[in-house]
Amino acid sequence: MPLETESKARVRALISEFRPENGDLLATLHKVQHEFGYLSREAMEVIGEQLDLFPAHVYGAASFYEEFRFEPPAHTNIRWCSGPACRLRNSNGIRDAMLATLGLDEIHEQTEDGRVGVINGQCNGCCELAPMVWLEQHETHTVRPVGNLTAASAIRMARALRDGTEIEGALDAAFERTPSGSGVSNG
Amino acid sequence: MVQITINDHTVEAEPGRRLVEVIKEQGITITNLCYIDGLEPYAGCRTCIVEIEGARPTPLQLSCVAQVTEGMVVRTHTEEAKRTRQSVMSIIMANHPDRCLSCHRRVHCMPGDICLRDDVVTHRCLTCSKNYRCELQTSCENLDQGEFEEPWVGEARSYYETPPPEPDRGNPFLEFDPQMCIICTRCVRACDDLRHTGAITLSGKGHTTMIAFGTGGQVHESDCDFCGACIDVCPTATLMEKPNKWVGKADDWTNSVCNSCSVGCTISYGLNDDFGPTIVRPDRVNPASRDQICVRGRFHYDAIPDKQRLSRALVRAGDRLLPASSEDALARAVEAVSAVKQAAGAGAVAVLGSPMATNEESFVLAALARAIGTPHVDFASGAVHRAVSQALEGAFGTDRLPASLADLERSDTIVTIARDLEESHQVVALRIRDAVVKRKAKLVRISPMWSEMDGFSHAVIRVQPGHEAAVTQALVDGAAAPDGVDAAQWQAALDALAAAQADAESLATVVYAPNNQDVALAGEGAKAAANLAIALRGQAAPDHLLYMPTEANVRGATDAGIAPGPGGKSFAEIVAAAQAGEVRAVVLHGDNPLLTAPGGPAIAAALANLEALVVVDEVRSTAAEHATVVLPMAPFFASSGTLTNADLHVFRHNAAPKGKAPSGLSVLQALAQGLGASVAFESPAAVTEALAAEVPGYPTNAMLGAAPGGTRVVGSPSRASAQAVAPAPASPRGEGSRGEGELTLITGRSLYHSWEGSSIRSEEADKLHREEQAWINPRDAEAARIRTGDVIDLVGEAGTVHIAARLDDGVPPGTVYVPLYFDAGAVLALYPLDGQAAGAPAVRLRALQPA
Ligand code: SF4
Ligand code: SF4
Ligand code: SF4
Ligand code: SF4
Ligand code: FES
Ligand code: FES
Repeated sequence: MPLETESKARVRALISEFRPENGDLLATLHKVQHEFGYLSREAMEVIGEQLDLFPAHVYGAASFYEEFRFEPPAHTNIRWCSGPACRLRNSNGIRDAMLATLGLDEIHEQTEDGRVGVINGQCNGCCELAPMVWLEQHETHTVRPVGNLTAASAIRMARALRDGTEIEGALDAAFERTPSGSGVSNG
Repeated sequence: MVQITINDHTVEAEPGRRLVEVIKEQGITITNLCYIDGLEPYAGCRTCIVEIEGARPTPLQLSCVAQVTEGMVVRTHTEEAKRTRQSVMSIIMANHPDRCLSCHRRVHCMPGDICLRDDVVTHRCLTCSKNYRCELQTSCENLDQGEFEEPWVGEARSYYETPPPEPDRGNPFLEFDPQMCIICTRCVRACDDLRHTGAITLSGKGHTTMIAFGTGGQVHESDCDFCGACIDVCPTATLMEKPNKWVGKADDWTNSVCNSCSVGCTISYGLNDDFGPTIVRPDRVNPASRDQICVRGRFHYDAIPDKQRLSRALVRAGDRLLPASSEDALARAVEAVSAVKQAAGAGAVAVLGSPMATNEESFVLAALARAIGTPHVDFASGAVHRAVSQALEGAFGTDRLPASLADLERSDTIVTIARDLEESHQVVALRIRDAVVKRKAKLVRISPMWSEMDGFSHAVIRVQPGHEAAVTQALVDGAAAPDGVDAAQWQAALDALAAAQADAESLATVVYAPNNQDVALAGEGAKAAANLAIALRGQAAPDHLLYMPTEANVRGATDAGIAPGPGGKSFAEIVAAAQAGEVRAVVLHGDNPLLTAPGGPAIAAALANLEALVVVDEVRSTAAEHATVVLPMAPFFASSGTLTNADLHVFRHNAAPKGKAPSGLSVLQALAQGLGASVAFESPAAVTEALAAEVPGYPTNAMLGAAPGGTRVVGSPSRASAQAVAPAPASPRGEGSRGEGELTLITGRSLYHSWEGSSIRSEEADKLHREEQAWINPRDAEAARIRTGDVIDLVGEAGTVHIAARLDDGVPPGTVYVPLYFDAGAVLALYPLDGQAAGAPAVRLRALQPA
């Protein structure tokens, strides 16, 4: 039954420090998702072997958390803040506008070409910038907070991302400015 | 024992027991939707609430959690207890597609009426496959749930707000329809705690919690073995057997036994008056299997569609087999055999029996052979069994060892000498896992290939195919690790054995499942296994050695007389004699030697060379294609009789009638009478009685009736004496070395292939199509430029097998595994007929078609 493959060996090497019956499961899941962007079936099987758990139990634990993904993430994810301050400042409208621009029905979907996805986020305390999203790119491990959005700027941002622009370019498009530096983008 | 009071009655109960079990034993109906008898309570459903006097903080307590204590006063049906249970149930039902069960108007509604309560017409149980056999439904009825005033009457139901999750109908055995699930988690715990398989989990959280298989994919992508333990405990229609899903409600149940391996799990067939057997449940009679069976026991009654079974007799006309009336066919059969006997003497006739048939059929077949006057009686794997028997007799003076399968789960040290018990004898593997998980027993596996059991092992001794006996003996001798065996594993095995020897109080068990393709190896393996048991437990060794024949009733067939008489030929000798024209007629009952015995081409040639071949079988097997006459008999599940399992229990098998074919017993009896036997049994029970009178140790009907799970035919072992074991062959063929590019062949019984399906080359032989590939080590595959999925030829001296390749680390470099029943036993063409060469055969890979 077992067949060692290169991709399994990669996971195995990545998590070799973790041990069974040591409370290591969540740390292992985080490490694998950080590296690969999501938890593949195969990765969960290797984690099970390493931690002496059935793959189903690894999945059962992981699926409890919104944070873990079981499909590869979009090239750029828009993490949309679902918190109360943002809601008060029309985050629902922003969400719907972005989904419509991207041709998506619901949150947690991504465009067919896998370029842009929208995922759920939680308030992390910078409510003075509400409404907020974070642009995330797994490949480069980039997380870029974007605050004070309006429906119009959100649509411009989503459109640019959809059309193949990378994060900085999309922010320039969103806020109609000439190419600029980093930091929290602010409309 | 202490005294407690339940509903004003005084009851004796064991202190510490879960109260709910005691309540149920008293015949009191109590809802308990998440409890599984015998397992730790989960306390999730809260439907088992009762009143316990003086309990804190409230008398309302979960009876599955509460433990019996002296003087406990319990009331199960007070107003308040019942109302509490109802309110809990109403929460469960709020998210279940049947709303009628909790509707007070239900008595007024006829099927098809428009529901007055809901804007969406409910499913009702009427349209559910579990209707009338559903624990949730019964629980609602017992609780008078319709009387309960639900606080949310008139509110829109959450159930209809979200689209129901998709059902999974992707496999042939188990249907998973999550919209019916009440998240009681019984299935999760059955798979974990009863099976140690862990294929099911709770996924998600809050309102989106669901049962999920494996890593969230389909059932067949998970670790599930389709044993059905989860189906047995599911209180709803979420987990259902796919075959006969809609007609699985039984009108009656039988006590029977599975004949797909020698564990002999006892089962009940649920009989539906119109359809025959439509469902199987474990029957607790066998003390080793109890409430567990495997996919074969649960589903093999349905292995092939009925129309693929024989219903009419066939008679040869030129190169075709044409339908005939049973009278004509019987007359032709008698005539053909008698003609050979007349022309060439009784010695030109041979009789081949079946290690899967009932003892009664074998007994009548033996009488048939006596009537012909031939001593040439055997079954295809008879010689393997006799080799093991001889070795056991040599060591213990008897081959009927008292060791019991029920001891496995109590063992502290277990050594298995077997290719893969998980696949060949699954419930034995399960009891071993029980011991490993619950008692931290140490398992030492001696096998040429990987098994799921490796994950439960303390030490895995990976041997060259054919070296099992010698390596086991080296372990007995405390020798250094043999060539190619991992030194650390070897030391771990030696340590486990030493620890077992040092602790005389501990229970040590040796399990031996011989290689069915090589008589000499099987005998040597038995000697080594006996020596190991003696090394571990001295004179008590016979209590600690379990011999697991491959087929279900090897013991019974032999005891009932299917073995060569004085001067009689063995199976291989019969085949050789038939090829040489000395044996000219064969009566073949209930087996297909092409599926069992090595030397496929030789056997086929022998069958083709016969003047008369009379086949009595339930299917038109590949062997029956050579027949002069084929007499149909009812399938095994529709026959009555007894079976003798590996630990020598005699279990009764009651027929689950279906179809038109007459029972094997009546066909054999008619044939025997035609050939001059004076047998005239009126019923299978009459044969059981005659067998008990003739074969020492066998139980009468009265004994079987008095102790259904307790009749064994054990012998009395004498002084145990160790025997010399032949050294390992230096190479697959005993002499010379394996040539460049040659691989050693491994085969054996795999889990899913059915005997019936394989015997006729049915498309359905392996319904999951999991066992239709040769396992090749990636190193060998790379050398031969083969990738997974490529179709290859395995070329041996005697033949070629055409099969898809699968790269797999489960076989060591230099070996290749082909499931025994693949393509009607095709792999047996690569093995020489017994006695014509020794050792595991060598094959070469030939890549045919790149994927
Ligand atoms: S699972 Fe049971 S209660 Fe639910 S609809 Fe089916 S029969 Fe009725
Ligand atoms: S059928 Fe058996 S192995 Fe499969 S999920 Fe159910 S209990 Fe587990
Ligand atoms: S599938 Fe059946 S046993 Fe499993 S949680 Fe759902 S209702 Fe309970
Ligand atoms: S373990 Fe053997 S006897 Fe038991 S159900 Fe499976 S095949 Fe049948
Ligand atoms: S609510 Fe959106 S950042 Fe706090
Ligand atoms: S049976 Fe007691 S809580 Fe479910």
